[in-house]
Amino acid sequence: MENPDSSAEQFPTILPPPVAGSLPTRTGVARERAWPWLLPMVFLLLAIGIYPLIFNIWNSFREFNPMKGRVEPVGLENWQRLFTDPRAFDSIKTTFIYVLSALIIEFILGLAIAALLNSGPWGSGLWQSMLILPMVVPPTVAAVMFKVLENPDYGPLSYYLMKMGITSMQEPLLGGNGKYAMQAVLIPDIWQWTPFFILILLAGMKALPTEPLEAAKVDGANAWQSFFGVTLPMLRPMIAVAVLFRLVDLIKVFDYIYVLTSGGPGTKTEVLSYYDYQRNFATIEWGYGSVLGLVILVIAIVVANVYVKVFKVQW
Amino acid sequence: MSATAAQLPVQTQASRSSRVRKQRMWQIGRTLLAAAVALFFMLPIIWWALASIKPMQEIIAAPPKLWGFDPTMNWYRVVLFNADPDTFNLEQTGAVGRGSGGATFYSIPYLKASFIIGLCSTFFVLLVATPAAYALSRFRLARRKDLAFWVLSQRMMPPIVVAFPLFFMYRKFHLIDTYPGMILIYTVINLPLAVLLLMSFFDEVPPDIDDAALVDGASRWEAFHQIIIHYVGGGLAATAVLTFIFCWNEFLLALVLTTGKIRTVPVASSTFTTAFATEWGYLAALGTASMVPIFIFILLVQRHLVRGLTLGAVK
Repeated sequence: MENPDSSAEQFPTILPPPVAGSLPTRTGVARERAWPWLLPMVFLLLAIGIYPLIFNIWNSFREFNPMKGRVEPVGLENWQRLFTDPRAFDSIKTTFIYVLSALIIEFILGLAIAALLNSGPWGSGLWQSMLILPMVVPPTVAAVMFKVLENPDYGPLSYYLMKMGITSMQEPLLGGNGKYAMQAVLIPDIWQWTPFFILILLAGMKALPTEPLEAAKVDGANAWQSFFGVTLPMLRPMIAVAVLFRLVDLIKVFDYIYVLTSGGPGTKTEVLSYYDYQRNFATIEWGYGSVLGLVILVIAIVVANVYVKVFKVQW
Repeated sequence: MSATAAQLPVQTQASRSSRVRKQRMWQIGRTLLAAAVALFFMLPIIWWALASIKPMQEIIAAPPKLWGFDPTMNWYRVVLFNADPDTFNLEQTGAVGRGSGGATFYSIPYLKASFIIGLCSTFFVLLVATPAAYALSRFRLARRKDLAFWVLSQRMMPPIVVAFPLFFMYRKFHLIDTYPGMILIYTVINLPLAVLLLMSFFDEVPPDIDDAALVDGASRWEAFHQIIIHYVGGGLAATAVLTFIFCWNEFLLALVLTTGKIRTVPVASSTFTTAFATEWGYLAALGTASMVPIFIFILLVQRHLVRGLTLGAVK
């Protein structure tokens, strides 16, 4: 082996001597009953996977009546309301802007940093360990941290951005008229989840065969050409998986918005999850909240499925 | 390596040594850049940890100070040891808030609740997921792939869609504000991760070992829990750590399904910010205290982290 890969686990070293091939095997010969092994998992997942769906559909045809203090059937009213509610459409638009911005920035930064760490700097293991840490900070704690860092009066991040002339007293990063509100909620997301791309893409790069790269070198390709012409195409499956996981998580984004801006100022950073939360728990419009919940679910399912089809994700 | 070197034109001593020097410069540059990136990502954490030992006027000082302040333990005294904030010198800490709306700064109850819920959920997740993962890895199931994909799709469910129906169900069964309620839902939402991750570890254990045990007269169950389980020890540890971290960090469901009798760390952090606008020292102390255990856990299993984050898709 020219390049012993430290991350690949060589299994046979801890195995007992191999069983002779002539021995009769029982795997798959008798059809074993699998359901006792699977039943608890299937039951729990069905309870949480199917029940909320049915509840939401049923509840979307009813609404809480604050005058009478109870829930009443309202027919299709909630669904008609969805199509005439500009705030719902705005929140869908905000969600898409948030998801795409975060995804693109995190991917590009992650790819660049992974390439840097893969180019063999000294102490790359140490740098990698340091880069893991932001990812496991509780998102609410991260959001609180950045709420202080971005505070217009004394937050260090705000202070330096103003000093550099990017933001101003009138339009600080957080607060003011909210010119930069979207950036303010994206920053903690990018800080926490760029490492996700770094880790996965770095693992992918380390697992790539070295022959194509050496061949490219012999053919006179420079580092730039061999990265975009050889490494990147070979990384495609890893990129597809990493983007998919990030994508479905981004559609659910809630914590940063809740802590940093509460969807504000106005509804500038109100993503769909937060709007749904508002309808369910702040204005107590349970039926309409269920409609919005179903909308999120449909968007998540459609986006994930289209993505899997378009990019042919192998999982 | 030697093959490519042989193809290079013969070089003079001088040009070779200048090339070596140039390579060394690049190496130093790469290392410095990697170190700078890693430090940059660590900076918010370092700053937050420092804020937890700074007096109030230093936290809000502009320009921010990384050193040269009088450290104070007062935030930790209140947060971890239930000291009375009024007894401290106000000039030094700026600690005036007493807590309202049922939230106090004394955070041991929050940390305790997060630990109990995290540990119990992790235990039940492993209990249910391990046999299911084994069955998915070993048994001949008619629709094995579909079943695995269904499990994966459950991982992508947006929590806000689940939260509202669960809120009603929990109210009916008096599970709001209870440990069993929180442990139940955290067990279910972490099952997909655990099942798929463990499945990828079981897949690496050759089925010949099971067959050998079965031929020797062991039952499936005996082969599983007496023999095979010992080959996936590292996988179980990694799964446990990741499950625990996801429980520890979860916010939305805890926010909806508890009202204050039980409060997890993420919910406590978010109520601190909304209820008391300026008591950052308490939040820094609680945030730092809540990050330390998971930093230790994650660094212990970091070599399995990539696999865990992609549910076994990237190894």
